Amino acid sequence: MTDQDVSTKTAVALDAEGLSLKSVSLWQITWRRFFRRKSALVGLGILAVLVFIAITAPWIAPYDPYKPLIGIEKVQRREKPCIHLLGCPKDRPQHIMGIDGNVRDQFSRLLYGARLSLVIGISTVSFAIVIGTILGAIGGYFGGWVDNVIMRIMDVLLAFPSLLLAITIVTVLGPGLINALIAISIVSIPAYARVVRASVLSVREMDYVAASRALGGSDGHIIFKRILPNALTPLIVQGTLGIATAILEAAALSFLGLGAQPPTPEWGSMLGAERNQVFTAPHLVFYPGFAIMLTVLSFNLLGDGLRDALDPRLAHVSG
Amino acid sequence: MTRKMLTVIGTGVLLVSFILGACAQPTSAPAPQQPVATEAPAATEAPAATEAPSVTEAPAATEAPAEETPPPKVPIATYDGKSLSVPDCEYGGYIKSIEATDDYTVTFTLCKPDPAFEVKLGFGVFSIYPKEWIEATAGETTRTSEGLERPVGTGPYKIQEWKRGESVVLVKNPDYWDQELIKNAPETLIFRWSTESAARLLELQAGTIDGFDNVGPEDFEVVKNDPNLQLVVRPALNIFYIGMTNTYPPFDNVKVRQAIAMGIDRQRIVDTFYPPGSEVASHFTPCAIPNGCTGEPWYDFDPEKARALLAEAGYPEGFQTKLYYRDVVRGYLPQVANVAQDIQAQLKENLNIDAEIVVMESGAFIEASASGQLNGFHLLGWTGDYPHITNFLDYHFGKDTQQFGKIPPEIYEPLIEGGQIADVDAAAPVYERANNAIREFVPMIPVAHGASATAYRADVTNPQASPLGNERFVFSKGGDRDTFVFMQGAEPISLFCADETDGESLRPCEQVTEALFAFKINTTELEPGLAESCEPNADLTQWVCKLRQGVKFHDGSDFTAEDVVATFNMGLNPGSPTHVGNTNLWEYYDYLWGLMWK
Repeated sequence: MTDQDVSTKTAVALDAEGLSLKSVSLWQITWRRFFRRKSALVGLGILAVLVFIAITAPWIAPYDPYKPLIGIEKVQRREKPCIHLLGCPKDRPQHIMGIDGNVRDQFSRLLYGARLSLVIGISTVSFAIVIGTILGAIGGYFGGWVDNVIMRIMDVLLAFPSLLLAITIVTVLGPGLINALIAISIVSIPAYARVVRASVLSVREMDYVAASRALGGSDGHIIFKRILPNALTPLIVQGTLGIATAILEAAALSFLGLGAQPPTPEWGSMLGAERNQVFTAPHLVFYPGFAIMLTVLSFNLLGDGLRDALDPRLAHVSG
Repeated sequence: MTRKMLTVIGTGVLLVSFILGACAQPTSAPAPQQPVATEAPAATEAPAATEAPSVTEAPAATEAPAEETPPPKVPIATYDGKSLSVPDCEYGGYIKSIEATDDYTVTFTLCKPDPAFEVKLGFGVFSIYPKEWIEATAGETTRTSEGLERPVGTGPYKIQEWKRGESVVLVKNPDYWDQELIKNAPETLIFRWSTESAARLLELQAGTIDGFDNVGPEDFEVVKNDPNLQLVVRPALNIFYIGMTNTYPPFDNVKVRQAIAMGIDRQRIVDTFYPPGSEVASHFTPCAIPNGCTGEPWYDFDPEKARALLAEAGYPEGFQTKLYYRDVVRGYLPQVANVAQDIQAQLKENLNIDAEIVVMESGAFIEASASGQLNGFHLLGWTGDYPHITNFLDYHFGKDTQQFGKIPPEIYEPLIEGGQIADVDAAAPVYERANNAIREFVPMIPVAHGASATAYRADVTNPQASPLGNERFVFSKGGDRDTFVFMQGAEPISLFCADETDGESLRPCEQVTEALFAFKINTTELEPGLAESCEPNADLTQWVCKLRQGVKFHDGSDFTAEDVVATFNMGLNPGSPTHVGNTNLWEYYDYLWGLMWK
């Protein structure tokens, strides 16, 4: 909706001036710039694979991620990976990432973990964006004491180290994945509120906003139809980078036993459960850690790419 | 402008602190039904701490009796230097009087027969200290640092130095009463500690220590296959069980409990998660303890029958419940999180019971389970304090125990009866009845007796892994080295062990102080210590103990009957000025004998 809005507006504006220029919307420019960045593309590629895995996990996972294989297959707990292509005897069952401490297939659990991580990242950030945007927009638009109250509360939230604050909130709510998500959302609200407020402040004084007001537009109309669509760019960047942070924080909470509860195949809790086996069974620590790293990396690359692409000041640099 | 701003900021901060304060409120008033919320802060720190307690308390862990703090009470005992006595037995403890009949005879008069009397006296916590030293080191609220760090005993070693955070150095006591024993013993005995079993193993492989306690379950094979090392498996004097509180539905139905007892493959748990040497529990009490294994062995694993029984009880589709545990590693439960998940998976697979895992902080978990407030399964265990069946059964299945809800008289009546019979064979039919009743009523499901192990360099003589955790290193020597270094899981809390419960404190104490009896190394068999013998009267209420003569304390004073009376006065008589220790809880004195107050 937003990009259409902006693009039509640009096109209309150009048409009105009667120029024969071929109209190129801001979003087209952005995409073009984005696709020229290799790192951003890599990020997008990894993310696409992750999304694919998350959606198709039940079909591509060779085993049930919850069911111990004791008595079903002749495998030892914490057994090293067995890959037929790499010379593991054919008569032994294939477990490409080995067996975990409860005799379950690590690979299947890792695949299911992708679902959780993406859901965690996207849901927490969406929640935080919705709340943060509302608060930031209200503060930025109305200014005065409303702005002061909202932003001071946000400052207080920001004053705590985010992970510690999340731990405190989970402590109060009780451990569990849902509560961890709520905690992470609350912790990340201030970042979005600030970003939105800053862009609202800069857009607020624009002529078209004044025009809208002169035409008798209500506050809600002006905020949601006129200001916010034009203040979204930094929010998109912040949100993409925020997903990475959220995934990391959720993994940290689960690692500490406050997030996903066993036997949920969450990467952080898988890592936490086997952390003492780092020397005896490195595969149980390596793969979940690597998966977290990869996911976070993909969102970070994507976010960086978007930021560069959306920043008009960098237009010349990146061509 | 700035003033306005400041006001706004101030109000905001105040507001947020109020909100936070309101949120924090529930934490300080934990409701038993929602233990989750209250437990979290500790769970936070679990990662760092899991290793430490694991090793720390494995050998002598008895948290349960520790939990209650008695309300203010009135001391009732009288002590005159030669005897300690109470006017009557209504205070509920065991001891009526302890009297020094002559210099080398002590007479214990008991309130009720105690078949485990001698075994209890052998426990290192009841070691004898010299009377003058007890008085001299009694500080105002705790022992003086001299009392906490340099106990004076009669043992084969005396304390030279406790380097905090590093080591405890003991040197041989040349005046020890058994010259034969100390002739070949190493001159210096050093205790060191490290919380990580991997780190302990590395030190042993490097040769910087002679032995260490609690080999990690993954390292059993490594130690076994190393020709320079030897592994000693500690006989399993413990029990891991799945508790159920029968005051909460559906656990109030005995058929449900029996169904669950048949529906869990205990062999699979032991095979998969326990180190070699561990056993599937056939009874609650380990077989190493006399009469522990009388009566029928536990149910066989039979999922078909279990499902049928569950359907008969009215739950053909299973039910939803919770599975509580604390993330603390113990000898009876070396891999707690994995075992919990396996039990969860088995309940789902065999009985279609959905059990949600709830991890609790250790102290709160013990409190909630001991008072019977957990409305689901709970995973807990017990490590024997002294090798007698009463130590296992009476604590868990006594009349007033709330841990499993209501204990039926079929179980607790034989226990009362058995508590008055000293002769092992005569008590056998009684305990057979008790064990069979436990099997029938299933207050809990005994799962495993978990083995742990120590590792030593190959040239260490008499390698020890005491089932009671009280290795006596005077019996061991590493090659021709004159220093023996033993590494345990944690630093001692204090060396005044009369008021300690922690196994890592008791072990060094064991080398320095001696009790009236001792245990033969690597067994639970009793041998004379400072007492040569104790003779009971016919109904086991009076024991006359003949003490060893010619024994000297490290400070040069003679060991006499008055020291025995003074030691028990210190431990049992809360009215005595010498009744000051480290924690001042005197847990073992209280729990095994009963403190003398009303």
